[in-house]
Amino acid sequence: MINFSDLNFIFRFLPVFVIAFYLTPSRFRTWTLLLGSLLFYAVGDLRMVPALAGAVIVNFLFARTQSGEKSRSMLIFIVLIDALMLVEFKILGQYVDSSLLPVGISFYIFKMISYQADVYRDRVKADAAFKDVAAYFCMFPQLVSGPIMRFEDYEKNKMLTDTEGKAGHASGRKKLRGILVALEDGLLYFVAGLAMKVLLADHLAMLWKEIGTIGYESISTPLAWLGAVTYSLELYFDFWGYSLMAAGVGIMLGFPFVLNFDHPYGSGSVSEFYRRWHVTLGSWFRDYIYIPMGGSRKGEGRTFLNLLVVWLVTGFWHGVNLNFILWGLVLFAIIVCEKYLVFRFLPRKIGRFIGHFNVLVLIPLTWVIFAISDRFMLAEYFARLFPFFGTGIAVNDADVIKKLSVYWSVLLPGLILLIPGVFKFWENHRRHVAFTIIWFFLFWACIFSLSNASGNPFMYFKF
Amino acid sequence: MKLLRDCPLLVGIGTTAIILSVISFAFKDTAYADVGSGDEGPDEPAIARVFKAASMGIYPWTTGEEPDESLSTEEIPPEEESEPGDGASNESSPEEVQQEDADISGNSSFDLSGNDGTFDVSGNSAEDEVYEFTDVDDDYFTDALFIGDSRTVGLSEYCEALDTRATFYAKVSLTIYDCMTKDFIKTDDGKMNLEEALTKQQYGKIYIMLGINEIGTGNEEYFKNAYSEVIDKIRELQPDAIIYIQGIMHVTKAKSSVDKFFNNGNIDARNAAIAELADNHDIFYIDMNEAVDDGEGNLDDSLTFDDVHLKASSYERWHEFLLHNGIIR
Repeated sequence: MINFSDLNFIFRFLPVFVIAFYLTPSRFRTWTLLLGSLLFYAVGDLRMVPALAGAVIVNFLFARTQSGEKSRSMLIFIVLIDALMLVEFKILGQYVDSSLLPVGISFYIFKMISYQADVYRDRVKADAAFKDVAAYFCMFPQLVSGPIMRFEDYEKNKMLTDTEGKAGHASGRKKLRGILVALEDGLLYFVAGLAMKVLLADHLAMLWKEIGTIGYESISTPLAWLGAVTYSLELYFDFWGYSLMAAGVGIMLGFPFVLNFDHPYGSGSVSEFYRRWHVTLGSWFRDYIYIPMGGSRKGEGRTFLNLLVVWLVTGFWHGVNLNFILWGLVLFAIIVCEKYLVFRFLPRKIGRFIGHFNVLVLIPLTWVIFAISDRFMLAEYFARLFPFFGTGIAVNDADVIKKLSVYWSVLLPGLILLIPGVFKFWENHRRHVAFTIIWFFLFWACIFSLSNASGNPFMYFKF
Repeated sequence: MKLLRDCPLLVGIGTTAIILSVISFAFKDTAYADVGSGDEGPDEPAIARVFKAASMGIYPWTTGEEPDESLSTEEIPPEEESEPGDGASNESSPEEVQQEDADISGNSSFDLSGNDGTFDVSGNSAEDEVYEFTDVDDDYFTDALFIGDSRTVGLSEYCEALDTRATFYAKVSLTIYDCMTKDFIKTDDGKMNLEEALTKQQYGKIYIMLGINEIGTGNEEYFKNAYSEVIDKIRELQPDAIIYIQGIMHVTKAKSSVDKFFNNGNIDARNAAIAELADNHDIFYIDMNEAVDDGEGNLDDSLTFDDVHLKASSYERWHEFLLHNGIIR
C-alpha cells in the first residue's frame, strides 16, 4: 500500500483519506494529515515508526531552541545527529539486513536538515507548531521517495489554515468548489504519473530484464545500446511518474505543485541535466552541501573539490558499492570536462552540440554503470556496447529486431515524451475535454495492468 | 452538472469505480466464481477481480458452464483450487477437480498406464526392441521438431546448429493444456495451431519440453493426464516420429527455496509423473537437468540471470546433452 501505484492505495487509502481530510474542520486538518501519514507509514514499515517519530520529536525540539538567538553550534549538532542517523541506518541496511533500512529515511532526514538550516537562516520561523512541523516531515505524499519539499512551500497550503474561512467569508459553496478543483487537478497529475509508471516504466523494466536473461556477454551491440536507452527510460519514467503522482496527491490536499523533473533530457549539458533531474534533491545538495562549502565562490580548486565531494556523496548515498561510486566519479569527470574544457575553450555552437551529445549519449551510458552492480557483468556489457575487443558468445544478431517488434509500443511513447514540448502541451491544455477522455482511459488501462500483475504470479511471470 | 464541469475526470473515475465494484460483488459467486482473488496477494480491492476476469475472457455475462475457448475437453482447474492447504477456495471446487481427474483417467490414460510401466515394456512385447541412447550428430535434427515454451524459444534463438536444422514450434507461456489448440504457429496467411501443423508435415523426431508455466495448475496426476493426451494426439498424427518427453528444467536454488510454486520439488514430482509416459519404444523420456545441475538438484546459478531461463551462452549445454542422448532406430 505504501506504493502509489498499488491498488490498495488508489482505491482504499487515498479516497478514504481525502474524504476524511476534507470532512475534518480546517483547524484540525493538519492532525488528520499527520495521523493519516503515520498510519500510511505504519502499514508499510511498522517497526520503523519509532525511528521516524523519534527523529521528528528531536528535530522539532532542536528547532525550537533556535527561536531566540540563533546558535550555529546547535545547528551543526542537530545536522550531525540527523546525518549520523541516516548513515547508521544506511550501513545497517547495506551490511546487516536490508529490512533495517527504514522506508523513506533519506527523504525525511533531508527534509529535517533543510528545515534546521532554514530555521537557522530565518527563511522559516522557528516557532512553528508541532503539528505543522511533524506533518511536514511525515506527510505521506512525500514520505517514501520525496520530493523534498521546503517548509516554506508546506506553509502555502490554504486548506490547512483556518484563516481563510474567517477573514474571507468564503461561502461553503465556494470552498467546496475550490476543493473539487484541487482534487481534479491533482488527479490529472496523478493519472499522468501513474501511466508513466505502470504503462511505460514497468514494461520497459521487462525488456531490461529480458536483456539480462540473455546474458550480457551474448547480446548484439545494437541490443546493448537499445538496453542503455531502455534502462534510461525506465528509470526516468519510474521516477518522474512517481514524482507526478506525489505532486498530484499533494495538489489534492492543497499543496502547491512540486516540480521534481523538468525535462532533463532537453538539457544542453550534464550539469544542467542534474539541475533538471530530481530537482528537489539536486537543489537540496546545492543549498545544503555545495553552497555551505563555498560553492564556486572560493576559487577553481575549491569548486573542483566541492564538486567531487557532492558527486562522491551522491554515489555513496545510492549504495556502498563500487558501481555507484564509479557512477558518481564518471559524472564528476564529465561535468568537470564540460565546465573547464568544452564550454571554456570551444566555440559556443560546438560546445552546445557536445553538451547535448553528453546528455543524450553519455548519460544513458552512465545509467548502465548505475544499473549493473556486478563489475564483471558491467565490463561485459561495455564490451558489447563497444565491441572493439573481440566478439560476444552465442550472439544472435537478430535479437534487437525481435525486441523492437515487441517493445516498440512502449519505447516510442517514451522517446516522444523526452521532448519537453509534449508534456508541456498537455499541462497547458490538461483541462481540455479530449485530454479528460484520454486520461479516463489511461487510468483504467493502468488499473487493468495492475490488477493482472499483482497477486497473480501466473499472469506476471510468463516463461 | 456544475460538478461535472469542475471535475469531469474525478466524477468519471469515481462513478466507474463504484459501478465496477458493485459488479465485482454482484457476480462474485456466479460469473467470477473461478477468478482468483486474495489468494496470493492477501487483500485487494474487489475491483481488481473485474479486470483479472476480463483478461481471462470472463465477463459478467459469461455463463458458468461455457468452456474456455482454449480447452477442448475439460476445464483446467483454476490455479488456486489445485494447491492443497489453501482453504480459501469454495468447497465445491476440489470435488470438481477430482471428478475431472477421474473422468480423464477413466477415458484414456488408464489403458496407457496399464502397459507403459517401465518394467512392463520389455516383458510384455517380445517383438519390441529396446533402444539405448547414443551419440548423434547435428544432422540428426534435420527432421526434428521442438515444441516448448520460452525456454525452447531460447534454444531456437541461441543454438544456431539446431535452429538452422530443426523446426521450432515454441512460444512464450505455452502450456501442455493449450499447446494443441492455441493458434501460435505463424503461416503465410495467418496463424494455425499445433494440431493443424502436425497434419501438414511429418517429422522424424519430436522433442517436447513443457510444464513450467502450468506448475501452479492442477497436480502431477492432472498434468500427466493432459500430457498423455498430447502425446496420444501427436502419436496419432505423427505415427513414425520418435517422441522425446523432456523433463522440465529446474530453477535455481535461490528461486526454488522461496517460491511456493516454481520450485524443484514440484518440478521433480511432475518429471517423475511424465517419465512414466515413456514406453522406451517410440516414446522416450530424457532429462537435460543433468547438464545444467549445480550438484544439489538445482539449476546452476552461473548459467542463468533470472533463475528460470538459461543464458544465451548456456544453451550449448542443452544442445550437447541432446547430441549425447539420441535414439537411432
